[in-house]
Amino acid sequence: MIGLGQVQDFCAVAAIIKDSQALAGLMAEITRAMGFRYVSLVHHIDLKPAVSSVHIVDYPPEWVERFQARRLYASDPIHRASHRTNIGFAWSAVQSLITLSAADRSILAEAHDAGLGDGFTVPAHIPGEVNGSCSFAMGSGDVLDQRQLPLVQLIGSFAFEAARRLSRQTPAPCEGPCLTERQAECVALVARGKTDWEISQILGIGQETVIQHVKDARDRYGVTKRTLLAIRALFDGQISFADVFGR
Amino acid sequence: MHIATGAARAMENRLFCSMFEERKRVFVDLLRWDVPVFAGRYEIDQFDNDRAVYIVIADAEGEHLASARLLPTTGDHILGTIFPELCEQVPPRGGAILEITRFCLARRLRARERLEVRNRLVSALVEYALGNHIDSYTGVAEWFWFQQILSFGWACRPLGLPASTSSRCLIALQIDINGSTREQLQASGIWRSVGLADLAKAA
Repeated sequence: MIGLGQVQDFCAVAAIIKDSQALAGLMAEITRAMGFRYVSLVHHIDLKPAVSSVHIVDYPPEWVERFQARRLYASDPIHRASHRTNIGFAWSAVQSLITLSAADRSILAEAHDAGLGDGFTVPAHIPGEVNGSCSFAMGSGDVLDQRQLPLVQLIGSFAFEAARRLSRQTPAPCEGPCLTERQAECVALVARGKTDWEISQILGIGQETVIQHVKDARDRYGVTKRTLLAIRALFDGQISFADVFGR
Repeated sequence: MHIATGAARAMENRLFCSMFEERKRVFVDLLRWDVPVFAGRYEIDQFDNDRAVYIVIADAEGEHLASARLLPTTGDHILGTIFPELCEQVPPRGGAILEITRFCLARRLRARERLEVRNRLVSALVEYALGNHIDSYTGVAEWFWFQQILSFGWACRPLGLPASTSSRCLIALQIDINGSTREQLQASGIWRSVGLADLAKAA
């Protein structure tokens, strides 16, 4: 059991920590102090490996191997659930966030067999960046102390920020290709399913101009399909879901 | 950035009036906060008094893009008056501590502009503190903001545990502002240089 004082101490140390090895050590220490056995602090998609992604994992080795061999990053139900909320959740309550498929259940059962018990995941969503999370897990059979969870949530958030700071090699306001204002407007409308003609009517510009903007935007991402263009621009934060669904 | 002190004075100025209108669009219409609306279009509450300081970011045409309200912690303010239980100890008060409230980004902004304007407002808040002998800001934030507030790179710490009600999760926090804050914001790519335009001095 820890208290707010220990959380504040953790924040102070995490804010000035120098490298990821030291952070991994700090995480191991606080994980034990909070009564957990395992910890995982990760970005969920690794577009540019080794340069800008957060990755500190202390899970049962057997599970880590299986997880990597089967590339479960995208389909992991816990990661998927963490995209549905900002607030930390216990793994035992994951069904309140997403519907579990048979495949999901088998992943969770395998994790359990590999020695992972109940856990608590703190999602980390920052606009314009890849989603990540910080998870703490018990050994199988151990009981999660519910009273501790608000503290765990704070630790998870500060830990993620510390890791994010360390992994930031060169701060750039826009990491992927940048779209011009007009291109971004067109892509937001593409994401709404509008045709080039419809976009030209909405923006009051020529259809040829729209075609050119969308083509230029596709070129910047190196993609040929409109769907992929919209998804990449959403992923990068060049457009947001609010731009697509209306605010 | 544009600065005004006192709600009555702010209401005499078109830019600051549009801030109160935008606050209604954001906090009442979008976020459904239960706060008073004046004349059907301005969100103005009991803390919008003559001691409140308003910081506004405007575009080239002088339209409101983003704003925040700073409340002295020596008087009534949100954390000290409404949510003291969010602090494990007594809420911080003092002449060198202001509370950031009503952090507001215009709804019409698109994703990228929002981040840019947000960065300008955060930089303006730091500039204001450095220029007015303010050592720290306190604030009450909804949890969905918290990771973003940390990501600015400034020295931010929790004053208590996150507390959930049925509809939302709140946290009290304190941000220390000092000589290294600019560098911290620069390192995280947030820092933007913002010019100062004080309504009182311009008038």
